[in-house]
Amino acid sequence: MNNERLHYGDKIIYMEGVVVDVDDCSISVDLKGRLGFFKAPKRMFICDTEPKVGQEIGWNMSFPEQLGPEINEKYVSNIEKERRKQEEMRTRLDNKEV
Amino acid sequence: MSITAETAKEHAHDPAVLCCRAEAGITIEPANLEDPAIFDDLVDSGLLSLDGCLTIEEVLGAKLTKTCDSLCPLTADVLDGVKAPSAPAEEEEEEAAPAAAPVAAPAAAPVAGGVMKIHIGEGKDIDLEIPVGALGAGGAAAVAVPAGAESTVAGAAPAEAEEEKVVRTLTRKHFNITEVKRGPETKIEGTTLYIREGIEQEVIDNQELVKDFHLEIITPENYHTYSETIMDVQPIATKEGDADLGTGVTRVLDGVVMMLTGTDEDGVQIGEFGSSEGYLDENIMWNRPGCPDKGEIFIKGNIVIQEKTNMERRGPMAAHTAFDVITQEIREVMKELDESLVSDTEELKQVRRPGKKKVVIVKEIMGQGAMHDNFILPVEPVGILGARANVDLGNVPVCVSPLEVLDGCIHALTCIGPASKEMSRHYWREPLVLEALHDPEVDLCGVVFVGSPQINAEKFYVSKRVGHTVEMMDVDGAFVTTEGFGNNHIDFASHIEQIGMRGVPVVGMSYCAVQGALVVGNKHMTYMVDNNKSESGIENEVLGCNTLCEEDAIRALAMLKTAMGGEEVKAAEKKWNPNVKSTNVELIEAAYGKKVDLVDNEQSLPMSQKRKEKYD
Repeated sequence: MNNERLHYGDKIIYMEGVVVDVDDCSISVDLKGRLGFFKAPKRMFICDTEPKVGQEIGWNMSFPEQLGPEINEKYVSNIEKERRKQEEMRTRLDNKEV
Repeated sequence: MSITAETAKEHAHDPAVLCCRAEAGITIEPANLEDPAIFDDLVDSGLLSLDGCLTIEEVLGAKLTKTCDSLCPLTADVLDGVKAPSAPAEEEEEEAAPAAAPVAAPAAAPVAGGVMKIHIGEGKDIDLEIPVGALGAGGAAAVAVPAGAESTVAGAAPAEAEEEKVVRTLTRKHFNITEVKRGPETKIEGTTLYIREGIEQEVIDNQELVKDFHLEIITPENYHTYSETIMDVQPIATKEGDADLGTGVTRVLDGVVMMLTGTDEDGVQIGEFGSSEGYLDENIMWNRPGCPDKGEIFIKGNIVIQEKTNMERRGPMAAHTAFDVITQEIREVMKELDESLVSDTEELKQVRRPGKKKVVIVKEIMGQGAMHDNFILPVEPVGILGARANVDLGNVPVCVSPLEVLDGCIHALTCIGPASKEMSRHYWREPLVLEALHDPEVDLCGVVFVGSPQINAEKFYVSKRVGHTVEMMDVDGAFVTTEGFGNNHIDFASHIEQIGMRGVPVVGMSYCAVQGALVVGNKHMTYMVDNNKSESGIENEVLGCNTLCEEDAIRALAMLKTAMGGEEVKAAEKKWNPNVKSTNVELIEAAYGKKVDLVDNEQSLPMSQKRKEKYD
């Protein structure tokens, strides 16, 4: 199992954040203490009531650790394709608006 | 915390560990011992080592010869008057740890009662085990079990040897397609399907939110093509005449499937959260119930929806609705096809078997919103028209016949999580429904779909409805399945509890393994089947890899029969161990005398760099 590759995986820390956006499929969270931001699918959040902007949430996490220095070319290529496509579509959209 | 005499009896074969400091010279009683339920965590964290530790039954009544601290495992060198262990009876199911070793052992070992287990190791009391048990003619120790199993079957049958009743039938007429081309009109000539040129504009005009659309025909030679995230895979099928879904005749095209992909105008994928974009042949687990089969042609549509609507419910809905314009045009053509083109006819029968163990399948589907949604009961198989979204229905249970499931009553908007999502085609070939329908030893009374809402209050609202729905069916056993993982495991557990508390044995099926470890558990979750196929037990981003397959359906049925027969199913180990599955499969093969073919996993695909380096 891959978690054996983590050196600090057992250092669990309690974190809190604030819901800053909710859409039909995701929830966005600012980590308190200016520690970042994340967005995840709704099904990965456990909510007793309807999730709303401004609510506070908590979870346990550890530090994301690099698994190695290797660069995975497939991901790079996907990211690049994605970037180019978005740029193209953006341009097309801008032209349309003009 | 010390334990009571009853607990000590239940845990007679579990390790004996002092709960608090004990002076030399005392006689060991249950009150001196710690509850074995907490040992797994202590062992995991290195606070406790059980090497050489005696069992509770051995130490009770023995005299302590040395003063020991709390949480000290009792070994022979600190005790006087240790009793001989009794044969490890089959009472070990309560706790996972001791039972684990024998079960995980190669199937050849006569594991008492052969069990299938699967284990999910996170959270408390959630271990899962899967017994294959009743069938395990594994050896001497298992003798009692098979006897019981037979009585299950035999016991029910002679009592009322009623005849099988065919409630209704569904005929599938297959038409073979070997080539897909574009042409001036949509038509089928022989085995060639032509799709009208210019149909793209109608797709775009169909929905206000759809801004662009491209159609691509992917043949097997082009499988190594880059593709956006696959949203759905659908069969192309239509009803003959006015027949409702699940009855009459359905015409279906073989050799070709519809495949939907999409982005918004900014180029952001619909429902994007990391995905299965990339080369098709590296990202599709061929021949899974929900996936394309190797060799099939894909009619692949890439829909572009209005910017920023990719995360709104109306975005994915518009994409699915617009794409159905093409499928519907093909359906219209299929209705006119000459009978001489039928390459194969199959008849699916909904059979009731009065007197046999009555079972129901509860399928939990996503209902959190956006693409976490499903259209239920369209007019055409996997169509749009006439269907209601389960989110709009409040995610409450909807009862359908097994043939409606197999006739495409679910048009899945399919949530993210490529490896464990059940796409529309999955229901069309749902393995558990097929196995249960064809198993002469059980009476499948129906299928219940229930959505998984976002918030807990609604989750418990719907799961209570599931409990009452199942209660009034008077079933002897139930399956609860779910796709994906995440907060839907909360209602998954709750459905099992609601059914289990009514005294009905329940087998739960989900992808769990490593990443999908259940977040909650309860005492009714004793029979669990893990749908994982991936080598490392993870969401490996390969489409359909960890979905419910025939082998899982076989294991689940064997386990439910065991449970309905009153046999024990052993607990699984605390940590996920794929050997549990293989052991159980071997036990099933031995008991039924038939080979269970296991499906391939991602290791059979061309290895992308990503997987090579990251995952395996």
